[in-house]
Amino acid sequence: MSEFVIRAENISKLYRLGTIGSGSLRRDMQEWVLKNFNKEQEISIENSNNNSKDSIWALKNVDLAIKEGESWGIIGHNGAGKSTFLKILSRIIKPTSGSIKGKGKVSSLLEVGTGFHQDLSGRENIFISGYMLGMKKAEINSKFDEIISFSGIEKFIDTPVKRYSSGMYVRLAFAVAAHLEPDILIVDEILAVGDAEFQKKCLGKMKDASNTKGRTIIFVSHNLQAINNLCSKAIWLDKGVVRANGDAKTVVNNYLGSLQQKSWKNNFLSVNEAPGNEHIKVLSVELIPQLDGQDAIDIRTPLTVKFRFYNNNDNINLSADLLLFTTAGDCIFDIPSLSKQTSKGIYEGECTIPGNFLNDGSYYFNIFFAKDTSVELFNLEECIYFEVADFRENTNWYDKWWGYVRPNFPLTIQQLEAGLEKERIEIGSAGTISTKE
Amino acid sequence: MLQRDQNWDWEITSETSWLGGSLKEIFHYKDLLFRLVRKDFLASFQQTLLGPLWVILQPLLTVLTYIFVFRNLMNLSTEGFPSFLYYLIGITLWNLFSELFLNISYTFMQNMPVYSKVYFPRIIAPLASVLLYLLRFGIQLVFLLVVYFYFVATTDLQFDFFKILLIFPAILLTTGLGFGLGLIFSIFSTKYKDLLGLLQLITRLLMFVCPIFYSLSMVPEKVKWMVNINPLASVFELFRYSFLGKGQIEAFPIIYSFVITVLLVMGGMMLFNKMGDKLMDVA
Repeated sequence: MSEFVIRAENISKLYRLGTIGSGSLRRDMQEWVLKNFNKEQEISIENSNNNSKDSIWALKNVDLAIKEGESWGIIGHNGAGKSTFLKILSRIIKPTSGSIKGKGKVSSLLEVGTGFHQDLSGRENIFISGYMLGMKKAEINSKFDEIISFSGIEKFIDTPVKRYSSGMYVRLAFAVAAHLEPDILIVDEILAVGDAEFQKKCLGKMKDASNTKGRTIIFVSHNLQAINNLCSKAIWLDKGVVRANGDAKTVVNNYLGSLQQKSWKNNFLSVNEAPGNEHIKVLSVELIPQLDGQDAIDIRTPLTVKFRFYNNNDNINLSADLLLFTTAGDCIFDIPSLSKQTSKGIYEGECTIPGNFLNDGSYYFNIFFAKDTSVELFNLEECIYFEVADFRENTNWYDKWWGYVRPNFPLTIQQLEAGLEKERIEIGSAGTISTKE
Repeated sequence: MLQRDQNWDWEITSETSWLGGSLKEIFHYKDLLFRLVRKDFLASFQQTLLGPLWVILQPLLTVLTYIFVFRNLMNLSTEGFPSFLYYLIGITLWNLFSELFLNISYTFMQNMPVYSKVYFPRIIAPLASVLLYLLRFGIQLVFLLVVYFYFVATTDLQFDFFKILLIFPAILLTTGLGFGLGLIFSIFSTKYKDLLGLLQLITRLLMFVCPIFYSLSMVPEKVKWMVNINPLASVFELFRYSFLGKGQIEAFPIIYSFVITVLLVMGGMMLFNKMGDKLMDVA
């Protein structure tokens, strides 16, 4: 059994709300007096919890035990306490109560380019950032050439980093980070900054670190696909409390289930609030999955999109398009309706995407309204976001499934001839594909 | 399942310690410490025409202003010494104190971007400031010595090897006072930003109660107490004495300065260790 490398017990973090200004000196002094001269009446967590108006629990009684070589994903909404938890683990802030015990060297990547100084050269910054992230002099010296070639900016290594393009900056910063060799690596959402290729490189490097080098990784991301791919375990935080904790796939699916029901429908109550212009007002957009007992949309789920809009033009030839994009911004399809001679009034559109069509991933819809097929009236962008979870049966393939679509077209293999006679294979290889064994 | 008796390398709790991290930990981060000094030293010359020359130009220009104001306009005595040397001695030491004090007071404000993203012993940043300003002071001191030996050679100024060694305790006390006072201010001014408005004022007031362009013997008895309670006063007098061989050097004020320095450095570091982590939530 592998050993525990981190054990967090009862971690809580209380933040004070409101401005820290007038009166804070007095409050501080009161607390200080209470704390130091009135030991029996110590301000315990329970007491300070009473004035919940002034404070908020960013984390409450979080427990987590991590074994060597595990990779953990932390998921949750914005403000769920994910970053707070990482900052406590990284020793940047102190917990209000509780303790974390750990083993081994910890490095945290909470931003890209920690400690970079804009006016100094790439060379100087490699050292500054490397030391800040916890590298030793000998370590940087021995990896220096490797870092530069990984970043691919050999030519600009003596140029101040402020003259770098943002891409070069990120590449250099990540090159430093990628050569860290801690026992425990803590990574916060840094993937959000790079382009798709950079994200892939990051994920690849992290996966490599956890798989082949036995490094422990703790990883916060909104990219659930990345969590699914990278992490074996996950913890789901919701308003500072652990909602679920365990196998990554299960936790992510539970989380998705809770996430989606909220964002499937966009109802705009009054015509004034509704998005649109003088031609079109969109009253509602709704995504209705035909769930068959699952918690979340997965690749098998047929999806129906319904939208209502108000058309303010008489006698125009109106059509609507439903466009589906991946969150990376690639268009998957653009389905137009038939053009229709219309008058003022409320209209409804509907489209069903069959199950076993989309691959797993995050998607959003645009709805585009046009006159005479091509003249734009209104484009409602990013009106519904949704995630499609993975579902696999009868396969030993565990990596990310390639492609944007995942249709269930049958692909069959059948044996044409039996036997392994030598001359037959030689004859066969000249013209047709044959089995190798 | 849980192995209660496992050996852990580190522990994070809600407690902060007055004593802070161990010396071993600071030593572990020594590469970072020196790199930060180098970073700030290099960064201050980026895109300047004169570069490191500014380290010397700055006291030089101040001296010229002083000569104009205090000698030409106000006719203050420099006790028969060349006014250029007289003022340069005071200004060189004052620069060390004021730059150290102001810079360390801004520790949290300047370092928040990295403090909030990565852990290293927080004291590393103000320690790097100390080394940086000692380095700058070192350069200025060389310039001062060059000027000093020029006057030794050209006037009847006497050079005394044993007296000149007295600059070291003076430098040590000045550094300690700037460091300790700066740490205390860095803590309080992060929480109560009002103090930042006072910082410049305090520095200027301190300057006037330091014997920089006058000597202690010139201070009227009525206001002497103001200079006497200033722990910097006797240090500045000592520093000038070591060059010029003239000044009121008494044991008691120097012991007083020494005690205050020790108290400020210890108190400042303890407060910094104790409060530093908590400030991460407010700053």
